[in-house]
Amino acid sequence: MQGTAPIQTQSLSLRRIFNWRRRNYLIAFLFVLPALINFTLFRYYPIVSAARSSLYNYSLLGGYQDFVGFDHYIRMASDPSFWNSLKVTFVYVLIKIPIQVALALGLAIFLSKQSIGSSIVRSAIMAPMVTSIIVVSIIWALMLHSEQGLFQSILVSLGFQKVRFISSETRALPTLSVMMIWKDVGFSMIILMAGLKGIPRVYYEAATVDGATPWQRFWNVTMPLLRPVLMFVLVTQVAFSFQMFDPVFQMTKGGPLESTNIIVYYIYQQGFLFQDMGYASALSMVTLIILLIISYGQMRLLNTDY
Amino acid sequence: MKNKYPYTFFTILLVILAMVITACGGSSTEEPAAESGSESEAAKQTDESAAGETASSEAEAITLKFVICCAPEDAVTYNEIFDAWKAAEPQYANVNIELDVTPFAELFPKIETSVAAGADFDLFQADGPDIKHYSYNKVIISLDEYFTEEEKAEFLPQTIEEGSYLGTFMSPAIMQSCSLMFYNSDMTDAAGVQPPQELDGWTIQEAWDAWQATQTDENGDGTPEVWGIRWGQGTWTGDYEQGIIRRSAGEKDSPTYNGMGPDGITFVGYLDTPEAIAGYQAYRDMHFGEKAVTPIESIPDIFFTKQSAFVVHPDNAIGTINRLYPDGDFNYGVTGIPYMEGGTELCHTGSWHYGVSPNSEHKDVAAALVKFITGHDGARIWYDNVRQLPARFDLLNELPEYNEYPQQLFAQGLQEIGQPRIQTPCYTEYQQLHAVLLQDLQSAEELDVAARVHQAASDIESACAKYKGWNE
Repeated sequence: MQGTAPIQTQSLSLRRIFNWRRRNYLIAFLFVLPALINFTLFRYYPIVSAARSSLYNYSLLGGYQDFVGFDHYIRMASDPSFWNSLKVTFVYVLIKIPIQVALALGLAIFLSKQSIGSSIVRSAIMAPMVTSIIVVSIIWALMLHSEQGLFQSILVSLGFQKVRFISSETRALPTLSVMMIWKDVGFSMIILMAGLKGIPRVYYEAATVDGATPWQRFWNVTMPLLRPVLMFVLVTQVAFSFQMFDPVFQMTKGGPLESTNIIVYYIYQQGFLFQDMGYASALSMVTLIILLIISYGQMRLLNTDY
Repeated sequence: MKNKYPYTFFTILLVILAMVITACGGSSTEEPAAESGSESEAAKQTDESAAGETASSEAEAITLKFVICCAPEDAVTYNEIFDAWKAAEPQYANVNIELDVTPFAELFPKIETSVAAGADFDLFQADGPDIKHYSYNKVIISLDEYFTEEEKAEFLPQTIEEGSYLGTFMSPAIMQSCSLMFYNSDMTDAAGVQPPQELDGWTIQEAWDAWQATQTDENGDGTPEVWGIRWGQGTWTGDYEQGIIRRSAGEKDSPTYNGMGPDGITFVGYLDTPEAIAGYQAYRDMHFGEKAVTPIESIPDIFFTKQSAFVVHPDNAIGTINRLYPDGDFNYGVTGIPYMEGGTELCHTGSWHYGVSPNSEHKDVAAALVKFITGHDGARIWYDNVRQLPARFDLLNELPEYNEYPQQLFAQGLQEIGQPRIQTPCYTEYQQLHAVLLQDLQSAEELDVAARVHQAASDIESACAKYKGWNE
């Protein structure tokens, strides 16, 4: 009997801790639940559904037809348009992301210092971000028009010849990249500004006392402490860039000569225009895997837990 | 232990949720395939339940969901037609019609995704050549039982052909079309050009001289203020007008002229014959090089804003000119549509058709509405607003303007040189892949035209292979 009282007390306190934990988990779960439902319904379920569709001949109007196993994946290997769309997508990402992030970082550092007019500049940079991408695409298409666009008037007034931007297979993709950098730089900038504000001033003061130059302070203080935020910006922007669709849909339709046929537009073409949703689903699955690998690689490279 | 518990819990919950949702969904899109090749059970059931239905027998209001194209102003015309319908057939006074206005480029994907998602729309507007695609996929019901043979005979033969599938009447049209070449007569007069005011017009090679003669670049910046020609309506490229050039390169009933094989899925040897390639080369030459007569990037309303001297367009251009220039200060004429030398003059026919969805719970009412819209009174209201060739003999015969130049040329053209666009359930895929080909032809800087056309023919044939045996 003498030994039972402590055991009971221990058991009671364990149960209390367990109940307390369970209650906390339950509360936490309730907070997570809406997002969980959203992700399950609109992310995970479509992924599972696409994985299934990729194994069938399937079209939206015709429904599921023959089970073809991995034929669509095998077909991809010998589909030059698929490889071209991958190449176009990577080129687009490689043009856009470094320039955008560097520009956003520079702007964030510049604008995080309170100066005259910084709020106006900040608003001007943020404005494209909050503007509908379709509206942006239409306006840019008008400005870039090879005969009547605003840019052509500027070029001619400066003594240059008119230039075809979006109807040229060599210039269309760089043009779209510039437009999307202009559109997206504000988002990256605002995230990086928040990251900069989170770095304690004391590190800079200590570095200054130690005689560090502005470049050394940037490289040895700002960059290491900004790494998690930078990683977030890089991962999200790469993922978003892989999903670029609207400007291609609105401005170039993937052409000319597939020069702007990025992977998401190619998937749209196959699924919705060419009535081959099974193949489009297989393309989507491969794109998803590529994105997962890239995101994982980015996180490893930046050595940040996320 | 501390961290494992919630993850395990969440993972299990996630899996359960996913399984439940997977179990609940997914079946709706499978049904059409399961019934492929035979009349769907769903369609049979709805047909039976709809039999004998009339709006008047229902106490409550009926709402019909109607997907239409293209612009908000079209909705105004439709509402006028709906009012006339209810006035003429009061048993439908309790019918409300919800319009879903969709731009032309998004119309097909809209119908497609609506069907796949099981959306409960009742009827839709569709481009004529897509009717066979919808019919093949059983997303449109037969209207045979709603139209007597006499009523069908009121429609022009091209309309019947375009609206039928394997001998079954699926979809009537509200109007017809045939594109001819309009010209700004102030500009042709200034250039000393006299286009023949008859259907038997120029070849493309003859017309080219006129296009170049009327093109002007007064400030010498290399960009004409007035271009020679815009081949086609709007700013898009497609089969309706741009597809004519290559077909016109062939003699009547030749592979080039027919555009595809009789099986409806063969394009190699039809789309890429030497004559067809010459037609595509001519299309490219209109945009590129010293002989260029049309801008590479389309200019909206280029003819109506007096920035081009010629345009290939259906007769609704007359309505547009009248609307934009009510004082009559736009002088124009019409001539035959140019065709490739050694080939055949033709215009593509077809226009807006209407289909009733098998998902509709009010098929009889929807069919009654389709019948009114495409009937004499509905089509007359449409004509008064849009001014385009009617699809019905009775209406065509009561419009005196179609006995006089220039509209007479369109009625004559429809009957003498009018050819439906290629009739195949694969038209949708063909149309999209063909548009990509045209885009490349008109804007790619470096291009082997013959190789690109051969590739397009092969791509279209691959995309169409799934319809093998559809008309056997």
